[in-house]
Amino acid sequence: MTPPPATWRLPPRATLLVAVVLLVAAEVGGASMARFKVELARWARGEMLRHPGVHGLVGVRDVDERVLDEALFRFDAGLRLFHMHAEGMALVIIATTTVAATLAETAGLRRMLTLLLTVGGVGYPLGYLLWSVLIPAWGVERSKSLVEWTVWVPFGSATIVALLGLLALISIRMVRR
Amino acid sequence: MSRPPLVVVFVAVLLIALGELGGAVLSQLRPAVARWVAARVAANPAAHGLSGSAEYDDAVREQVVFTAEAGLSFFHTHAEGVGLVLFFAATLVASVVRGRAMRAVLHAMLTAGALFPLGYLLYATAAVGLGRDAGVTLAEAWVLTPLGTTFVLGLVGLVVALGRRPRPSPEA
Repeated sequence: MTPPPATWRLPPRATLLVAVVLLVAAEVGGASMARFKVELARWARGEMLRHPGVHGLVGVRDVDERVLDEALFRFDAGLRLFHMHAEGMALVIIATTTVAATLAETAGLRRMLTLLLTVGGVGYPLGYLLWSVLIPAWGVERSKSLVEWTVWVPFGSATIVALLGLLALISIRMVRR
Repeated sequence: MSRPPLVVVFVAVLLIALGELGGAVLSQLRPAVARWVAARVAANPAAHGLSGSAEYDDAVREQVVFTAEAGLSFFHTHAEGVGLVLFFAATLVASVVRGRAMRAVLHAMLTAGALFPLGYLLYATAAVGLGRDAGVTLAEAWVLTPLGTTFVLGLVGLVVALGRRPRPSPEA
């Protein structure tokens, strides 16, 4: 086994590009939330009113306003969580794929770790955006359940598995030095 | 850019991985965590000052559940963020700090200090076992403050190293 390089190696350019695009999306998302807060809330509210059955609206103003406020809060929370997770995961992709590019000795292992870290890191935050977009037409819980099993669990698991693989790889390199 | 020692890289990736796992636990097992906390509070009434009055005890239980969830949430965000800060700061130390001893000191301070998010796990569990105030005080006094201070001092050392004028090269 060759000794680990003393300098960092860059991950593939496509990975860096994807991570930077995710950073840009997070920044734009944060800026849009602030700039178009009223317009976004108006759109979501309009969509919710077009799907009264989904949200359990009964036509009584006092009851419906509480339900709409709660759903709008979740809609806004989803956008905020997308903003925060996209910023964080973009940096996690850059840092962890740099470690994989430097310490993984075989091309196959390097490719697998990089792919899992990139795909998992990009996909997971997009789930929050999808959740927000779906809430007005699908309802809070139904859309959450859908996104949970189609986005958060698979993409989050990919990242966690890859991180555990990376930890095993670093441990092996430390032990064999 | 130079690579920091492998043990530093290991701790950085470990923190990020633990942060991810903490987030997964928080989202997937929230009801189970709340049930466990409520059971622990009921099993240890003296530590939490339960009075036997249902209304008062429910409020206390809710506060402890909130504190435990807040501890897990702080752990998730801080472990992810501090893992990244450690990765990039340690890379800067390895790349720009002259002197092997100074690099070793800064790497040691940053790596030990970066473990401070574990204090939020203690914060969550000690609040359940010892009572909210005693648990929070314990975590602050023994983990969050000393390790957090070490981390900040390591970063200040990096700032000083970056601010020092580079030695002129022999060709100049």
